[in-house]
Amino acid sequence: MNDVLKVFARPQFPHAVLVHVELSALALLIAVAIALPVALAVNRSSLGTAVAVNIGNIGRAVPSLALLALALPFLGFGFAPSLVALIALAIPPILINATTGLREVSKEVIDAARGMGLSGWQILRGIQLPIAAPVIFAGIRTSAVQVVASATLATFIGGGGLGDLIVEGFQKGDTPVLLAGALAVAFLAIITELLFGGLERAFTPAGLKVAQKRQKAR
Amino acid sequence: MGSIQLALLLQSLDQQLVDWAWIRQNYREDIVPAVIGHIYLSFVSVAIALAISLPVGIIVSRYRKAYPPVTILTGLLYTIPSLALLAILVVIPGIGVGPNAVIIALVAYSLLVLIRNVVTGIDSVPAETIDAARGMGLTERQILFKVEIPLALPVIVAGIRIATVTVIGIATIGAYIAGGGLGQLIFDGIDQNFPTKVIVGAVLATAMAVVADLLLLALERYLRPWARRVRGAS
Amino acid sequence: MIEFKEVSKIYPGAQTPAVKDLSFEILEGEICVLVGPSGCGKTTSMRMINRLIEPSSGEILIDGEPNTKMSGTALRRKIGYAIQQIGLFPHRTIARNIATVPQLLGWDRERIRRRVDELLELVGMNPADFRDRYPSELSGGQQQRVGVARAMAADPPIMLMDEPFGAVDPITRERLQDEFLRIQENIKKTIVFVTHDIDEAVKMGDKIAILEQGGILAQFDSPENILTHPNSEFVASFVGADRVLKRLSLLRVADMRLDPADGADDLPTIDERLTVRDALSQIVGVGATGGIVERDGERQLLTIKAIEGLLKDSGSARG
Repeated sequence: MNDVLKVFARPQFPHAVLVHVELSALALLIAVAIALPVALAVNRSSLGTAVAVNIGNIGRAVPSLALLALALPFLGFGFAPSLVALIALAIPPILINATTGLREVSKEVIDAARGMGLSGWQILRGIQLPIAAPVIFAGIRTSAVQVVASATLATFIGGGGLGDLIVEGFQKGDTPVLLAGALAVAFLAIITELLFGGLERAFTPAGLKVAQKRQKAR
Repeated sequence: MGSIQLALLLQSLDQQLVDWAWIRQNYREDIVPAVIGHIYLSFVSVAIALAISLPVGIIVSRYRKAYPPVTILTGLLYTIPSLALLAILVVIPGIGVGPNAVIIALVAYSLLVLIRNVVTGIDSVPAETIDAARGMGLTERQILFKVEIPLALPVIVAGIRIATVTVIGIATIGAYIAGGGLGQLIFDGIDQNFPTKVIVGAVLATAMAVVADLLLLALERYLRPWARRVRGAS
Repeated sequence: MIEFKEVSKIYPGAQTPAVKDLSFEILEGEICVLVGPSGCGKTTSMRMINRLIEPSSGEILIDGEPNTKMSGTALRRKIGYAIQQIGLFPHRTIARNIATVPQLLGWDRERIRRRVDELLELVGMNPADFRDRYPSELSGGQQQRVGVARAMAADPPIMLMDEPFGAVDPITRERLQDEFLRIQENIKKTIVFVTHDIDEAVKMGDKIAILEQGGILAQFDSPENILTHPNSEFVASFVGADRVLKRLSLLRVADMRLDPADGADDLPTIDERLTVRDALSQIVGVGATGGIVERDGERQLLTIKAIEGLLKDSGSARG
């Protein structure tokens, strides 16, 4: 165990963490920036929604190692190809949740809002988005955890991050280094899960929490 | 851009990236065993995970207090990145590298989804239905096997579907610790700087995941005859 | 107040029109009920008033001006809107739900707060108890009340109500109907009310527009006239074989001129607030030929004969 702690004290360690976080955060941010506008754009079309959800579903089935590996022959080694692969990986869950979340706001609620004279933009901002927020954030959370996990694989195409430690430990038969990498990544993933779970709760409107609780009690 | 130009572009990409001759020559020795190995890893893992999740799910659906700790534990396992989990398993004495470590990891990843769907499936059986069964004199055991599990089956299969797709994906990483399967092609391709292997491995793994997804989705629909009839009648 | 002029609506891809050449006028302060079987275009007609649906031809005048004169959203903020499924916003408190239109209109906070409390009182809900609750914490009947209160929030002169009491049990519905009629006596809104239930139409309407399949206006008249003189086979069968009894539900015992009762102690006592129909039911139910009504300390006699007399003279209007 002491040997593992020594690895954490190595100057390369903070750098690996930094690259890992940078890669994951950038990928997630860009994925949100792509998936959310698309979800909003297809919001009013059932065909658009169906297309987006189906593309999302197929996208989710693509193995993360396959995505990263495919970036190699087309984009080459390094940080940027890893980033592109991770963005592609992060988009589907956000896209699926955001489109279905917006879609599932009940028709009557939207009809009532329209009937009272809310504009399309007011309905989206004041009604649909807050009601869909928990579902949208659940999608972002899924993506975030997946990206942090898959960023470990970026090491295979030269993307850096904590995967480097695992690979180094494995190749040199250096168990402390291997374990240090593995534990750090696991810790990072769990932190991400908790952090985004908290965000999800924070963005769930109080009225919906009350409704959820009542539904559970039934 | 015309379709002819597009075809030409694809062809030139082809010539650079995919060595068709290699595929033709090595299809028996390299590709088929990798596919079979991958199916083996995925199938065995999901089967073991199901054998654990069914009884655990049934017990947990009865003893509700056990559900939160089970969810937290399996959720924790699910959150640990696969390469990290494999790395940790490898250093545990008695496990080491090879397919066994991979299968343990894959089972660990499947538990959360499978147990959760077993419980949700059983929960989704209407209380009136169970009450009616009890009223007709079925024993608790009969209610479980003749009413609750059949009605919960579509939801359980939905869980198997998600677990299978996840497992097929993660199994590729298993090749790094000598687990075999399609990941072997990917890692070899990266090491040998031979794109054809990478592409073949990645494309086949993706195809396998998509096909499994669609097949199990069809099974899920097939298992809801009551829903189909209603649609047919209306 | 609201005038339909040759209004038709054909949905894209449909063979037959949903509404065809609809022309009639709704007067200020009246409840006009649009009633008919499903597919008769009653909801479509209502939704064309606030332009949730645009007519294919014809126009709708509000206060003599075409309703296309202002934008759809501006128009809708001036017209109350309540629907069967209520559509309360689940993420907003009851107070904020009711405040929706006032907020859109930019009322100040204090005015909105006062208005919300006033409306909650009006629909019989204690503001202190309900203001800060969420829709999921309310019963179906309470939600319907909030839906109606929300529609009235900015005090619109016109209200559109699509089966606003449709999602509750019959007893609650009856109570909500009575309460609403009581409120309407004071606020005198112009109301377009959609229902498929002829009994509700007879009860709520000052005027009834009966629509047929294909959105054709079959008859437009007072409930009394529709029940006494249905102008077609369709109307007669739609209002039902019991239309004679339905007319009795338009009248209350209190509105009848009765003679003093002498003796006749074995007759049942009738509450004068009952409709004549309910009074008749009570009398027949105990096998009597009449009942005693206590009015201003005087005992009066209500006989089945007197009720029959009512049906003969068709001149009497609603009480």
